[in-house]
Amino acid sequence: MNADLVERRKAGADAFASLGTPTDKLEHWKYVDLGFDPDRIATAVTGAAPLPADEVVAALGAVHVAVVDGAVVDHSPADGATIARFSDVDGEHLALAAALSAGMDPDRDRLSAASLAHGSDGVLIHATRGHRSNVVVDVQAVATDAVSYPHLAVRVDPNAELTLTVVYRSDDGFRAVVPRLDISVGDGAQIGLTTVQTWGDETRATAHQRLVIGRDATARIGEVGLGGALGRLDLRVDLEGDGSSVDLDGLSFGDRDQTLDYRMLIRHAGKNTSSNIFLKGAVEDRASSVFTGLLRIEEDATRTSAFETNRNLVLSDEAKAQSVPNLEILCDDVVCGHASSVGQLETEPLYYLMSRGLPRDHAERVLVHGFFEEILDELPDQSVVAPVRELVVGKFVAAQAEGRL
Amino acid sequence: MSIALEIKGLTASVGTVEILKGVDLDVPFGEVHALMGPNGSGKSTLCHVLTGKSDYEVGGSARLDGTELLGKEVDERAALGLMQAFQYPVEIPGVRLEEFMREVGVARGEDPGAFGEQIAAQAERFGVTDFLRRSINDDLSGGEKKRSEMFQMGVLSPKVAVLDEIDSGLDIDAVRQVAEAVEQLRSPDVGILVITHYSRILGHMAVDKVHVMMQGRIVDSGGAELADELEDGGYDAVRSRLGIEAPKKEAAAPSVRDTLTDLPF
Repeated sequence: MNADLVERRKAGADAFASLGTPTDKLEHWKYVDLGFDPDRIATAVTGAAPLPADEVVAALGAVHVAVVDGAVVDHSPADGATIARFSDVDGEHLALAAALSAGMDPDRDRLSAASLAHGSDGVLIHATRGHRSNVVVDVQAVATDAVSYPHLAVRVDPNAELTLTVVYRSDDGFRAVVPRLDISVGDGAQIGLTTVQTWGDETRATAHQRLVIGRDATARIGEVGLGGALGRLDLRVDLEGDGSSVDLDGLSFGDRDQTLDYRMLIRHAGKNTSSNIFLKGAVEDRASSVFTGLLRIEEDATRTSAFETNRNLVLSDEAKAQSVPNLEILCDDVVCGHASSVGQLETEPLYYLMSRGLPRDHAERVLVHGFFEEILDELPDQSVVAPVRELVVGKFVAAQAEGRL
Repeated sequence: MSIALEIKGLTASVGTVEILKGVDLDVPFGEVHALMGPNGSGKSTLCHVLTGKSDYEVGGSARLDGTELLGKEVDERAALGLMQAFQYPVEIPGVRLEEFMREVGVARGEDPGAFGEQIAAQAERFGVTDFLRRSINDDLSGGEKKRSEMFQMGVLSPKVAVLDEIDSGLDIDAVRQVAEAVEQLRSPDVGILVITHYSRILGHMAVDKVHVMMQGRIVDSGGAELADELEDGGYDAVRSRLGIEAPKKEAAAPSVRDTLTDLPF
């Protein structure tokens, strides 16, 4: 392991030692309860047997990388991309892995610091110039009563095109996961990133994702968040290059006592950049969801276009959804907007559907399904749509059948 | 039983405002009736009371092929064979028209294959094939929305079809198309009630009877000559013939739109 990577680990360890444990006193953690003590949890011992394929993985066909409890257990070649463990890379790829690892601030929060300090391994995915490639990653947390730190570092070379799909999953039983995804998109390159998290009921996951987008490069992101006692996503996108853009469409559905927490920072630094964030969430039972989105437009980011929209459907009296969109605009040559709403199923569409002969519960299912369709339509990897739709509608149908609504 | 829709002494109020004050109206199978009346006379309220919208306190009776509708859920009324074509069909993003019709087929226990063919055939017939893959009423013009409603009637084959203000907001060509669609729906197995406040659309279709509604009651019924009288002399002519005092200020009934709780999804 090269000196840069070692330095990053030290910086992570220092930050971990000095930063406070997340509590609701800290702005970043205002709305969530971490549910475990980072000082008193063991790092997962690797070597557990991987989980069998679930519906989402089966729909994806080939899996190129399997990460279990933070260790890369298997990887196979993908056309147009290099895939390698951090521990196996050297030369140019080692430098790339180190540079990508440097992407995240070690002091972003205590868990990202822990990931830097204690992550056992990582995988580098390098989509090479002029190629079009498709990579599927299956990230699993198997060991119980422990924390793991899966880490993916991705480089899309200039004028390369990468479709990357990452599935996050685990079984029942308590465990913590701190997944990290660092992506650098070169000039004129394109990435289509789809993430689907279906963590088990007692998994507490706090994911960090960071994308840095180069000149005239585009990122299309689709995020699906369905699982976990805590499912948190801390996403930061830096539109560094002139003419760069990001489109993000996300959906989440929380039930029982789940907390789904989305923190998004979209930073416009280059000129003529654009972002469009569209997130839809539903909550039922006692679940809660939080969306905190910040659009930050830097001083020189002229001709910026930035929009964020967050729609929430609250399906039970005790469920909660919070939406906190923010703008921080330091440049006056911009078009920006944000919109958010929290509400129940609308009565007029329900009346219309029922007037054609759908019983109320059937009409409600059709509406819940319809609520998410416009997000599903936009997921860069359409092969996950059918199983994700099943999971989403399944949550609602189960609650209906058990009389939980 | 030859009466498709039999309404007797139907009343409806919202809070202390009485909108329908005892409506009596029969539509036999195989006939097309027109219900006309000035704004605020209660025509749309009648539609929604029949369909089963929960905003109203209702009394009296409304029978479909002999079965009482009042007190039943909206979907139960539809299952009995009632369908309203809405004045303002709501847009439902994310729910595709074809998929919606298929779900209704499932709820009715239809054979999926045969029902799918029925959907395709009726879409062709009413010229809505392009809308099938789109969200319900999403981005459709006024005329297109009405065609979509007619298409749904074609698929669902109701025993009683109530068409609320089917000509509102349409240009002259669209009015004719809607009138032709109504003519296509006419059959011995259905009674059709067309609601309008202009007689224009009646020039494009044959109606068996015209009813005039004012202040929450049917005040006159007759043949096509009644529509001609309205065309020539307006509602005032009917009022003066019947000795009804024109209200100083016709209190507008609370419209469907006003009762919407708009959530911006």
